[in-house]
Amino acid sequence: MIISVENLSKTYGEGESSVTAIKEATFQIYAGETVALLGPSGSGKTTLITMIGCITEPTSGKLSLDGELMYDQKWHISDTRRLRREKIGFIFQAHNLIPFLNVLENVTLVPQMNGVKSDEANQTAKELLDYLGVEDKLTKMPSQLSGGQSQRVAIARSLANSPKIILADEPTAALDGERALSVMQLLRKLAHEQEVAIVVVTHDERMLPLFDRILRVEDGVVKEAV
Amino acid sequence: MINLAQRDIAHSLGKFITTALGVGMLIGVVLVMIGIYRGMVHDAMIVPNNISPDLWVVQKDTLGPFAENSRLHEDLKYSLKGFSGVQEVHPLTFQSLQIHLGDKPVRAFTLGYEALSSFTPYALTQGRAITIRSKEIIVDTKTGFKLGDAITLGRNTYTVVGLTHKAVSSGGDPMIYLDLREAQELQFLFSNEQIRNDRERGAQSAATATVNAFALTLKPGFDPKSVGDEIHRWKHQEVYTAQEQADILTKNLIERSAKQIGMFTVILLIVSSVIISLIIYTMTMGKAKEIAILKLIGASNGIITKMIAQQSLLLGGLAFIGGNIFANASANFFPKTVILIPTDALKLFIVIVIVSILASLSGIRSALKIDPASAIGG
Repeated sequence: MIISVENLSKTYGEGESSVTAIKEATFQIYAGETVALLGPSGSGKTTLITMIGCITEPTSGKLSLDGELMYDQKWHISDTRRLRREKIGFIFQAHNLIPFLNVLENVTLVPQMNGVKSDEANQTAKELLDYLGVEDKLTKMPSQLSGGQSQRVAIARSLANSPKIILADEPTAALDGERALSVMQLLRKLAHEQEVAIVVVTHDERMLPLFDRILRVEDGVVKEAV
Repeated sequence: MINLAQRDIAHSLGKFITTALGVGMLIGVVLVMIGIYRGMVHDAMIVPNNISPDLWVVQKDTLGPFAENSRLHEDLKYSLKGFSGVQEVHPLTFQSLQIHLGDKPVRAFTLGYEALSSFTPYALTQGRAITIRSKEIIVDTKTGFKLGDAITLGRNTYTVVGLTHKAVSSGGDPMIYLDLREAQELQFLFSNEQIRNDRERGAQSAATATVNAFALTLKPGFDPKSVGDEIHRWKHQEVYTAQEQADILTKNLIERSAKQIGMFTVILLIVSSVIISLIIYTMTMGKAKEIAILKLIGASNGIITKMIAQQSLLLGGLAFIGGNIFANASANFFPKTVILIPTDALKLFIVIVIVSILASLSGIRSALKIDPASAIGG
C-alpha cells in the first residue's frame, strides 16, 4: 500500500465562514494502480491531491505514504519538501516545466536536488526521455516544444526521482483527444511497468476505462465509484 | 547541481544586462561623486603642495591666503629672513580673475612669485619659466591658451611662455603664474585716475609693495612650530605650519562641499539600494509560478534563496562593472578634476555586495511565502 487516507478532512476558514473542502475521506492506493479523481470543479479534487502530496496541511485525519505516517492531527514529518523530492512525482495541467531550463535540465533537476551526481542523473534522464519518445529534444527549451512533447517531458521529470506515487492534475486538459489518449496510455503503462501508483485528477470521462479505480469527489465527499 | 540563477539570467540575458547597466549608471554616478570629492581635495592642495613651505606667514587674525584676505608689507621678508632657522622667504600674491580667450570668459587664479627664486610652477610641461619683469606669463592648458599667445591683464599684455598641466586652484580654476612685481601691479595698482585723485586728496595710493602671504622654508633641524611662535611673538602676524594650512583648506574650505557630496553619495546609494530591491522583487515575483513549481517538486528554501541572492549579487556585480566603466569613461569630461582610485572602488564594491544582499531579502521573503499549491490549477 502506497497511500493510506483515513478520515482525512480539510476545512478552510473558521466559524460560520468556514468551508469544508474534504470531508473525512478514507481510501487506500496501491503500487502499480492508476486511480482517477473525478468530480466537478470546486468539488475538492485539488485540495485532496495537495493533501496527498503533503503540500496542504489537512485539518484532521490520518495520512500515510509508503508505510510512513505523514499526518495524524499534525504533520509527523519535519521536511515535506524532502518527502516530495524523494517519493512523489507531479504532473500538471499546463506541463509547468521550468522555462529557463532545457529539457534535460528540467528532468535532472529533482534527482540533482536529491544529491544524485550530474552524470548519473543525465543518464537516467536520457533513458526516460528516450522511453517517452522525446530523446531528440534534450537541449530544447520548453518554449520550443509542442504541447504533447512538453507533457512527455513533464512525465519524464515526474519519474526522474523514481517516485512511489505520481500525482497528476488534469495532465491531458491542454491536449487534443489523440494526444490525451496517448499520454494516458503512457501513464497506465508506466504505472504497471514501474509499480508506481498514479493518481490523476480528470474531468474527461472518456479516459475512465484506462484507470484501475475511480474515486468520485462531490462536495468534499470521496466515494469509490463502481 | 544546476545553477538556477545562471540559467535564469541566460534565459533573459538582454533584459538582465540592460537592467544591470541602468543600475550601473547610478553606481557610476556614485563613483564620480566620490571622484569629485577626491578631486576637490587634490585641487585644493596643488598650490600649497607646489609651494611646499614649512611655514605660512599671513596677516594677523586671518586664516591665510586661501581662506581669507591677507595683506602684508613686502619688506617684512627682510625681517623674516633674520629669524633663526629661516632659510628662504617667498613673498606671494594670490588673485582670482577673469580673462578672455577670444569671446570666451575664463576664470583663473593668479599666483605671483619672485621669478628668480627657486620656485617652479606645478607641472610646467611645455615652454619655460618666466623671467623677471618681462611681461611673461605661464598659464594652465585648461585656460585654452597656447605658447606664444598674448593675454591682456590690467595695464599690460603678457606673452605665454610656459604651460602647466592640471594646475588648478582650490576652486578648480586654472592657474596663472606671473612675476611678483607684475602680479602686485595687477592686484594693488589703482587706475591712473584714482592715483591722481588720491594725490589731490593728499593720499598716497601708488605703492604696490604688498603681498598676500610669505612662504618660509626652514633650515634642517628647526622645528616649524617653534620658529612660527617666535615670528608670531615678534612680528604680530599669523603663522601656520604646512599641516595647519592644509587643515584650513581641507577642513574649513571644502568641508561643506565634502559633506554635500557625501550626502548626495549616500542618497544615491539609498536610491540604488531601493532600485536594486525593486528589481530583485519584481524579478522574483515574475518567477512566482516557477518558484511555486520548484517548491512543489521539492526544492528547499536554500535552493530558492541561493537563486535569488545569486541573481542579486550578479546584478550588483555587473552594475558595479558597468558603473566603473561609465565613471572612467566620463571622468575626463567633467569640468573639475575627478580622481577615481581603486580603494574607493573596492569600498564601493563591498557596499554594493552588502546592498545586493539586503536588496535580495525582500525578494527572498516574498519567494518563501509563495504557496507551492499555486502551481496546481483547478
